[in-house]
Amino acid sequence: MASISGLSLAARSSRWSAGAIVVMAILAAAGELVRVASPHFYADDPLWADDDMALDASGATPIEDANSYDFVVHTFAAPGDRRDVRAMNVNTLDEVPDSSWFQNRADRDRTVADLVRGPDRVSSISLDGWVISGGKSTGVQPGFRMTDPQGQLYQIELDPPDNPEMASGAEIIGTALYHAFGYHVVDVYLAELDPSHLVISEQATIWDPREARRRRLTRREIDKVLRRGARQPNGKYRVIVSRFAEGKPLGNFRYYGTRPDDPNDIVPHEHRRELRGARVFAAWLNHDDSRGINSLDMLTADGGRNYIKHYMFDFGSTLGSGTIYVQRHRPGNEYILEWKPGWLTLATLGFYTRPWLHIDYPDDAPPAVGRIEATAFTPEQWKPEYPNPAFDNMRPDDAFWAARIVSTLDAASIRAIVEKARYSDPRATKYMTDILMKRREKVLRTWLTAVNPVVDFALSNSGEFTFANAAQQAGVAGPAQGYILQWSRFDNATGAATKVGDPTETVEMSSAAPAALVADARAGDYVEVAVAARHPEHAAWTTPVTVHFRRGADRWDLVGVRRVP
Amino acid sequence: MAAQDPQSEDSRAGTLKAEREKKQQNLEPPKENALARALKAVERGGVPLITRDGLYAKLGSLTTGSGFAYGAGYRTHRFFERDAGIDLWAGTTMTQYWAAQARLQMPIAPEGRIVLNTYGRRHDYPMEDFFGIGPDSARADHTTFRVLATTVGVRANGRVVGPLAVGGGVEYLTPSVGDGKDEKVPPIGDVFDDESAPGLASQPDFVRSLAFVDVDWREPRNARRGGWYRAEWSHYEDRDQDLYSFDRFDLDLRQFFSVLSERRVFVARAFISTSHTPGDQTMPFYLMPSLGGNDSLRGFREYRFRGPHALLLQGEYRFEIWSGLDAALFYDAGKVEMRRQDLDLNGLESDYGFGFRFNTDNGMILRVDSAFGSRDGKHLWIVFGGTF
Repeated sequence: MASISGLSLAARSSRWSAGAIVVMAILAAAGELVRVASPHFYADDPLWADDDMALDASGATPIEDANSYDFVVHTFAAPGDRRDVRAMNVNTLDEVPDSSWFQNRADRDRTVADLVRGPDRVSSISLDGWVISGGKSTGVQPGFRMTDPQGQLYQIELDPPDNPEMASGAEIIGTALYHAFGYHVVDVYLAELDPSHLVISEQATIWDPREARRRRLTRREIDKVLRRGARQPNGKYRVIVSRFAEGKPLGNFRYYGTRPDDPNDIVPHEHRRELRGARVFAAWLNHDDSRGINSLDMLTADGGRNYIKHYMFDFGSTLGSGTIYVQRHRPGNEYILEWKPGWLTLATLGFYTRPWLHIDYPDDAPPAVGRIEATAFTPEQWKPEYPNPAFDNMRPDDAFWAARIVSTLDAASIRAIVEKARYSDPRATKYMTDILMKRREKVLRTWLTAVNPVVDFALSNSGEFTFANAAQQAGVAGPAQGYILQWSRFDNATGAATKVGDPTETVEMSSAAPAALVADARAGDYVEVAVAARHPEHAAWTTPVTVHFRRGADRWDLVGVRRVP
Repeated sequence: MAAQDPQSEDSRAGTLKAEREKKQQNLEPPKENALARALKAVERGGVPLITRDGLYAKLGSLTTGSGFAYGAGYRTHRFFERDAGIDLWAGTTMTQYWAAQARLQMPIAPEGRIVLNTYGRRHDYPMEDFFGIGPDSARADHTTFRVLATTVGVRANGRVVGPLAVGGGVEYLTPSVGDGKDEKVPPIGDVFDDESAPGLASQPDFVRSLAFVDVDWREPRNARRGGWYRAEWSHYEDRDQDLYSFDRFDLDLRQFFSVLSERRVFVARAFISTSHTPGDQTMPFYLMPSLGGNDSLRGFREYRFRGPHALLLQGEYRFEIWSGLDAALFYDAGKVEMRRQDLDLNGLESDYGFGFRFNTDNGMILRVDSAFGSRDGKHLWIVFGGTF
């Protein structure tokens, strides 16, 4: 994670002026100088847990961006540091360490049941004995707040009348998948609400924007909310029950800059890999609403520490759902405001038609799935509602990281997660599973092949070097014609690599390391191997991935992977 | 992960911790720039201010041609803690139009299926345009008149099933008409008399009875498909002179078609107004349907044509430029006639033009139309609200 040491020095300001960028460049250069004096790999590399929860953040104050500001600043101002640089929070294996932002879940021994459970603490929820404790003041989806018998607060939301199960299904699937990716999300459950058994707390209030005050929440208001929701044939309502996260709300995080009031937040968000790579997940799931205002920062007390935990939430506008209506045609295909297609449309009096206007959505798709398809879906062209600085900074190595996570979710996992949405129409389950699998295949084909996809490196005591090809493993690329290996002795103090022998080529994904390099290695010695690949369809694979091993007491430890686009 | 003393800067964890400790010395609260503060204020305070209960600013228009109106009002949507709403307002314009209105709206059936509206209004419109009645009115005869009127009434609207609604009501009107106040345009009395402008000499009070049928299946409200059809019958009863009683029937049909994922919308509108006056009665000119202006024949001045019978045909092609902004090409044709049997497609006045519509799903916010091709010159309309 040398890049953190070098560049995060400049991460203290969230105001990105040209001057600040110049200063940052100078500081970055200074960081490089510092790095020369430091070892290339520290003894605790690779770091799998970035303790960004250590320092007290209880003095932080809420950041609550307005919808309109978020749109304006991202559409017209291009905030953040827009540079083609490596993500700054990756560890020396080019992976994202666990943090207050992210937790590695893909490589653990998780079962399909784990995936389906996601963030949920219990397997199911009944609303018996719950009390309506307040109105819902934000967001477009009809709903209110309820409190369970233990006093835990939840948000209740309904589906639109014309598309029962659509928004709730998207919320369930989106939450489970984002949890599987590694993000912090809140528990969400499906439940059945019986309107004849509602109890409203005496203290329940609702913010009335027309009266500009809070007032008592009455049954009449609840009935109005229910009228905006889809009612089941049995007279009850299928609702989404979202548990409020623990802690003190601190508003939203931004996809650029750092929080100036959080001592732990030192990496500009647009340079965080998990935020850059979120573009891959958003494209897969058509999460057009992936923007700062759909995030949540919570001041979390844990073990005597107060730190900010960063959540993603509100997946009601994913897949084919637009939350309160079927997803429109533009989202995912074009920003809300893009000049060129607009001017073309105007100049041609509407005879120019945007390509997405011609996407053919199946007429027989069940109402619960909304509007989503996989045939026209082009992952690299997918767009959120308006520019996202972290998404814009996504490089092929960031996308590769995310795509590998997607690749860990197989057909059985995806089907199980879709089944969690409990669509009453089996066709909806099948349709959504099929669409997700087809879109997944495109995501993997696009982003697992855009860089040299060699992974899973190991060097045995006998000197056998093995690796794998992630694109081939995922079935989105054929075998490489060959792999070219260049071995070097690596000086950890200076960062200098001294070649040992000439490059060798192998068709197999294994090869013997030069005996001169590994036979007499002592603890603390480092070796480097650069692995390039030849594939007639993927020129980018010729760029080598640089791999470092450190000799331990009784084995070779993988300590470095550098994948350059 | 290798164990390493995180306090030491000779470890990765240590270097990161050192950086964080350095930042800790220079923490500052998040700052919002002026734009962020302004937009937040608008979003949280400004937009609700337009629709909020209590005192509010009355902005917009009083009637076609009044110009921009400003005033103040008071409203609540929870009168006596019920869903009933009251709305009281008064406003004026730079052209000395003014109006004041009180309205009580109350649901009288569950889920608002029947709503009762009771209202009273007083207005003074001092510069209403008049060019004569019938299809042959001349622009050279442009005059203005003043209409001062009080209206009180009650209406009931009931939703029958789906998009079908029916309703009816009764209201009492006390119009008073005189010369207009526009110094640049002759007053009506200089050019017209009671024969050429029936009802100019004296104005009785009226009792108007009305009934309507309404089918509205537009989707969304700023429609891209569906239709809106309304038929309304009114009987105006002269309460004083037994000279000006008449029946009026209006039929307004609007149909919306769309292609290309509803980003291209074709709108067709047909409006027919006809009236019946018993043999000894006359329809007063100020209660006749009119054509001309931003919402009918856009290539003509406001109220350019008046007559007891009117026909208006409009077509519009709207195409989305960006979300929230449509452009439009339009064509209007129509005429007024003195006899119902002349209400055909011959001799229609027409215009065409283009415009822009700033909109949401719930309606148009602002409309700019440029109209050409009429014998009345070019016209530019900037209007808050939609057309059809």
